[in-house]
Amino acid sequence: MIYFDNAATSMIKPLAVSRAVLKAMQTMASPGRGAHEPAMRGAKVVFDCRMEAAELFNVPDAEQIVFTMNATHGLNIGINSMVRRGTRVLVSGYEHNSVTRPLAFMGADIHVASSAPFDSAGILESFKKELPWAELVVCTHVSNVFGFILPIYEIAELCRRQGVPLIVDASQSAGTLEVDYSRLGAEFIAMPGHKGLFGPQGTGLLICARPCLPLISGGSGTDSIVQHMPEYLPDRLEAGTHNVCGIAGLLEGIRYVRDKGIKNIFEHETELVKSMTESLSQVEGLEIFTNGRRFQSGVLSLRSSKLSCEDMAAALSERGICVRTGLHCAPYAHRSAGTLETGTVRFSFSPFNTEEEVDACCQFIKDLL
Amino acid sequence: MQYLIMCRSMTYAQRSAALLERSGIFARVVKAPLGLSSNGCGYGVALSRRFDEARELLKRYNLISGKIFFRDDEGEYREIN
Repeated sequence: MIYFDNAATSMIKPLAVSRAVLKAMQTMASPGRGAHEPAMRGAKVVFDCRMEAAELFNVPDAEQIVFTMNATHGLNIGINSMVRRGTRVLVSGYEHNSVTRPLAFMGADIHVASSAPFDSAGILESFKKELPWAELVVCTHVSNVFGFILPIYEIAELCRRQGVPLIVDASQSAGTLEVDYSRLGAEFIAMPGHKGLFGPQGTGLLICARPCLPLISGGSGTDSIVQHMPEYLPDRLEAGTHNVCGIAGLLEGIRYVRDKGIKNIFEHETELVKSMTESLSQVEGLEIFTNGRRFQSGVLSLRSSKLSCEDMAAALSERGICVRTGLHCAPYAHRSAGTLETGTVRFSFSPFNTEEEVDACCQFIKDLL
Repeated sequence: MQYLIMCRSMTYAQRSAALLERSGIFARVVKAPLGLSSNGCGYGVALSRRFDEARELLKRYNLISGKIFFRDDEGEYREIN
């Protein structure tokens, strides 16, 4: 099997991740619910993971690291805290439904700052133009469809100058690009644990600037007499039993990323994008969405005039090559790129993918078309 | 005898204990006796030695967020400033 669907979830993990999950399942109880040995072991893993994440994302206090189920969960917390009916929200033209659906649900007034894929200057200009109107900006760091790296630090700077709060969706960048909380100065940064951070599914992180509205309420293990959630982080946003097994795996995933180095991971993944692009560039009728490694992460989308995206993905799947097709839950991105009618076939890489896998996949596509 | 420095959350207690440990001061994260917390369950760090040093260190890092108790050999707690 060749697994090229890492933008959805990184299925191939470092071995330490599954070992940690199993160990947690067998030896750890609920943190903050008792002072016995298994509970304290669980608490230590949860704390270590907060500290490791705080280091990786340059967050001053570990309390600002909140565990979520996934990036969508974190984005919902942020959006629910800051948006009311009619709030004027500016988003990029590359947002995932995990941003746009909660905004629609809350009744936000949404404007889109857009550009063609990989037009970094263009999207920045669009943000500059629209920002005076906005009360909030929600922006992805990297498009999950095209791997387009948005100029998020420049957008954050614009927001700071205008006094507009910012929520960052780091779903596709956490673990592959520098996500620096202190430099961004965002209100919230949401990310999954199960993609570039190599944790198990069901894990995510939300970095919070300050306490906000909890999405759910319940037991926190502290201040039990008080009938509302604690005012302080992370307890305010972590009602109910933690996913200790998942967090134990996530801790090992983050350690792997820190050990390997984000720059090395990015370099490896984008090298695979380059190889695939070069190999397929002469295939007739194939449209490849790339920019020669400028403003592009380890994600590559393409479509063929000869075969539908679904048929191509099905053929690849029969051959044991896992990719994702369709709209990737990101209609805004496809609208920006003009691919809403067809969708694309997306190849997304991880440090565990190899040049040999890319070669095999490219050969199959050439034979197919 | 031991000192108990109450913390506003388990995470705060863990941060406090980690900071003290880095300075060579042994402190344990403990669940605080219910009677010491006005809001119900709470956590703190307990230590037997180098209390003054520990308190100063935690103050410097803004980690003093709750009351501080001294527990005598009979197990009685009294609040200290």
